[in-house]
Amino acid sequence: MNSVEMIDIVKQYPLVRAVDHVSFSLGQGEIHSLLGENGAGKSTLMKILYGMTVPDEGEIRVNGEPVKIKSPKDAIRLGIGMVHQHFMLSPVMSVTENIIVNHEPRKGWLIDEKKAEQEIQALIDRFHFNINAKAKVQELSVGEQQRVEILKAIYRGANILILDEPTAVLTPQEVEELFVIMRNLKKDNKSIIIITHKLKETLAIADRISVLRDGKMVESGLPLGNVTTSDLAKMMVGRDVELNVRRENTNMGEEFFRIQDLQLSERGVQVLKGISLSIRKGEILGVAGIEGNGQTELIEVLTGLRKADSGTMTMGTEAIRGDAHAFLKHKIGHIPEDRLSRGLVAEMSIEDNLILGYHDEPQFLKQGLLQKKNIQSYAEEAVGEYMIKTPNARELVSSLSGGNQQKVVIARVFKQNPDVLIVAQPTRGVDVGAMEYIHHQLLRLRDEGKAILLISADLDEVRSLSDRIAVIYDGRIVSVQQAEDTDELSLGLLMTGGKEEHHEQAV
Amino acid sequence: MLNNITGILSTMFSMSIPLILAALGGVYSVRSGIMALGLESMILTGAFTAAVGSFYSGSAWIGLLCGILGGMIFGLCHGLLCIRYKVNQVISGIGLNLLATAASTLLMQIIWGNKGNSEAVASVNTKLTFLKDIPVLGDIFSRQSVLLIFTILVCIASWFILFKTPFGLRLRMVGENPKAASSMGIPVRRMKYIGVLVCGALAGLAGAYLSIDSLNMFVRDMSASRGYIAIAIAILSRYNPLNVLLCGSLFALCDAVQIYVQGYGIPSQLVQMIPYIVTLLVLAFGVKNIQPPAGVGKYEDE
Amino acid sequence: MSKLSNRLMKTSPIVISLVSFVLAILVSCVIMLLCGYDPIFAYSVIIEGSLGSVRSLTNTLIQATPLIFTGLAFMVGKKATLINLGVEGQMYTGAMVAALVGMTPLPLPGILHLFLALVCGVIGGGLAGALIGFLKVRFGSNEVITTTMTNFIIINFCDYLVNYPLKAEGAVAQTNKIVDGALLGKMIPGYQLTWAIVIAVLAALIVKFVLEKTRFGYEVRAVGLNMKAAETAGIKVGGVMMKAMLFSGALAGLCGAVHVTSVGKRFISGFSPGYGFSGISVAALASDSPLGIILAGIIFGALKTGAMYLNMMSQIPTEFVSVIQALVVIFVSAPLLIRALIGADRKPKKGGRSHAE
Repeated sequence: MNSVEMIDIVKQYPLVRAVDHVSFSLGQGEIHSLLGENGAGKSTLMKILYGMTVPDEGEIRVNGEPVKIKSPKDAIRLGIGMVHQHFMLSPVMSVTENIIVNHEPRKGWLIDEKKAEQEIQALIDRFHFNINAKAKVQELSVGEQQRVEILKAIYRGANILILDEPTAVLTPQEVEELFVIMRNLKKDNKSIIIITHKLKETLAIADRISVLRDGKMVESGLPLGNVTTSDLAKMMVGRDVELNVRRENTNMGEEFFRIQDLQLSERGVQVLKGISLSIRKGEILGVAGIEGNGQTELIEVLTGLRKADSGTMTMGTEAIRGDAHAFLKHKIGHIPEDRLSRGLVAEMSIEDNLILGYHDEPQFLKQGLLQKKNIQSYAEEAVGEYMIKTPNARELVSSLSGGNQQKVVIARVFKQNPDVLIVAQPTRGVDVGAMEYIHHQLLRLRDEGKAILLISADLDEVRSLSDRIAVIYDGRIVSVQQAEDTDELSLGLLMTGGKEEHHEQAV
Repeated sequence: MLNNITGILSTMFSMSIPLILAALGGVYSVRSGIMALGLESMILTGAFTAAVGSFYSGSAWIGLLCGILGGMIFGLCHGLLCIRYKVNQVISGIGLNLLATAASTLLMQIIWGNKGNSEAVASVNTKLTFLKDIPVLGDIFSRQSVLLIFTILVCIASWFILFKTPFGLRLRMVGENPKAASSMGIPVRRMKYIGVLVCGALAGLAGAYLSIDSLNMFVRDMSASRGYIAIAIAILSRYNPLNVLLCGSLFALCDAVQIYVQGYGIPSQLVQMIPYIVTLLVLAFGVKNIQPPAGVGKYEDE
Repeated sequence: MSKLSNRLMKTSPIVISLVSFVLAILVSCVIMLLCGYDPIFAYSVIIEGSLGSVRSLTNTLIQATPLIFTGLAFMVGKKATLINLGVEGQMYTGAMVAALVGMTPLPLPGILHLFLALVCGVIGGGLAGALIGFLKVRFGSNEVITTTMTNFIIINFCDYLVNYPLKAEGAVAQTNKIVDGALLGKMIPGYQLTWAIVIAVLAALIVKFVLEKTRFGYEVRAVGLNMKAAETAGIKVGGVMMKAMLFSGALAGLCGAVHVTSVGKRFISGFSPGYGFSGISVAALASDSPLGIILAGIIFGALKTGAMYLNMMSQIPTEFVSVIQALVVIFVSAPLLIRALIGADRKPKKGGRSHAE
């Protein structure tokens, strides 16, 4: 008997049909991978199963029984647990508090704190989760936080686990650990759905796969046999995809952008511990690392948003200092890691966003007054050049899709012809089409002789675009290697603080 | 000298009651993720409805109840606007403050035909007189309202409720991360409504104390920005009910000193500035690294 | 969130403002009915008293003048995400400074003396506003609370000044009269209306120009709509906020200065019936558009004038206007409520029904 059956599910949103007559089944004790691009409907389908949204049509059966799931509460009662991509935890509360909330063991009117801690610690020990039940969540690593999420579901008696993009934030080693945990859970006869768009991992862990595209199920419950990653990619996208955009670099110039011994402390903790890097003209230097090892701070220092405690930055022979404005004037372009929080003003027009940060260029501003006509024609030009899908440049940025929003950011920076580019997570949350486009643009700029620093949590992206790869760990650059000399496992090891190797001393 | 000190302390305790009650209300509201900028309206309305209730019923206790209800009604309005209609929490609070001021002044004229204050109404006259034979302490406490005891108890109880009970854990989770709370099956909206309603009740009681306990009438704008000072107290207390007790008393001390100094011929306009200046200084220098719960202003469905 | 706001955008701000205003008026009608008055009669009296004659029209404009200023002041702060409840106090500062300058005999031609008084009022109000901006930027102090506190401090201090060191002869707590030459002239002989209203309209035009056409305006918009993105783009967020508060306070200060050099002729204790707070309603009704603020100021000015006229003929307290103003603030901020009330978001029964076959 199947643990879950979803039959002919439809979910219509005001503008799109997110799930279009989809059927899906999950067998007892299996690991089932649900594949699809961003926006293919896999998250919506799982939200329906977890009661976070209600389908317009269709039927759900759990262990053979038809059920109505109107809220997560219903789902939890049916033994369904969900581990969200963005962890649903309160960092200031303890592991135990996060797990027991709404399910507290009681002693009279009060929470039985002792019993709660014992129970949680017992679960932790049983599944070898290796965390402290009393620790505050903010003290845990990302991988450990994920285990807290899994514990939350198990504590509530979940037999059916939905893992939403669980590997997106993990290092290769942590992914391996997660897979061990998943196999343990499977042995415990728990059924697991893993939502992902990572093909290799799917092949490594799943028993069966289902593929969604544009809200429709294109492949349902396919057992893994001789399927290859490129088969899967084709199913997901509907056409052949260039998985590897990497192209030979022919135009590498002299060393141009150099940072030396950057140090930064935050509330008494040193977050950048002497970072030195140099980038040549026409080179992409990738920085790989697990989030929270100093990348955000490094970006902030390299774009003038924050002042380093010590260290220097030079372009050619010229030292760069000052605030974010000064850095922009030095022709250091910045593609921020989160476009909606840092990159764009969503409730302003595309036009206004295209000049953001450059609005004081003489082209746009004379004697303190904005030059409306110049701005308009500049914006129309950018919209055409960068294929931003919009009726006109006066539309609000919030009306654009994620990919087109990212194109606005890219157009803004690229059109100002920067000499150095600091690029962070350029393709996070964009569809495959926009991703290909953005990758090609980055390579084009590289070939035009720009010095590019690429910081991305996506190791595949770093590896396919970079000429050299630096690994950041705990506020230090622990390795710099030619991209072709790297392999995923050794990078992963370095990212988790494994031994340092090939450390090029920057001069 | 001793007389002066006991006098000031006595005034401090009686001034601390409305501040502590209102700030405690603010703690519940903020812990549930709703900013408490409407506190002022809840205090003022509580003061007004308490006077009205006492006026028509002749019973101060019914007046007290009306005060609580009045505060809760404004708490509910704030909740409806913020939770249901997704109004900016600051604007909602300010709108309600304006409404409470305007409506109480208007209704005062309709009911009592007077713009400045109401007629005298029955007031809560239960003091802690049984303490009067204790030396020194008796001087300080025997003239205090029973509400002082209630205030202290409710702060201690609130500490247990927030940090030791399932309800408190859930309320805090809602305030810290409404999405997480919702995904755990906690009814986020209901918890937020509880937060603002408790806030309204406590603030309403604070108002009722002003009009029918420490006085026996409603006076126009009698909340005198205590709602805003209470917010400052709640922040400085790091949203912890026991700290509220302490911080509230400190702010009340300023009030007491102000009243005391007035007796020495210094122009009242100048000394009346003291509590506001202190609040301003505290906000500038005292609360820089205090973070409210992470989920303030956020909802489960965004 | 962005989806939600997109849907809200579809009901235009003008419709929201209009419906809010009508709803608030309806509530006031209920109040009148409860007091035993016929609202239709009352409102015909109000219209008569505010628009019915040249005199009542000029009175309306006199009432509208401070509201336009304070509406502008509040709006400018709000554009930079700052809720400036301190307009009242900043206005007091401007009024006090302008009165001081205006009452001091100076060897200046009247018009220059007036100009100097106004400028000093603007500077006074601006500095009072900038202080709030400074506390916000430097210490992160919540401006709603700091402005409320500074209001009390400033108003009490002004009260002290007019009761003690600056008190003019007589029973009333007020300063000496401003020198005749330094008063704003009357627009129409025989009527109280002065050039103050023209200054208010000019101020609105200037605010519009600054917000739409200048670098400062662009930066204020960016900061107001996404502070982090503005910061990333090299805009000095703290500086922009300070400047916005300076601008906002300056407008409030101008309001006070214009008031003492026209209607007041001196600084009188408690001269403001809460103009600063009415500004919140004016900005709300105008949905933060500078030209809309002129109109909204006149509408509320007319209501106030009419209400005072009505008060002379009946027992209806003028405070019902404040209730209307408060309700406008609440309604305008709640488009979802308005849409629910006018039934604009009644959903079609179910999404994809037409596809069911």
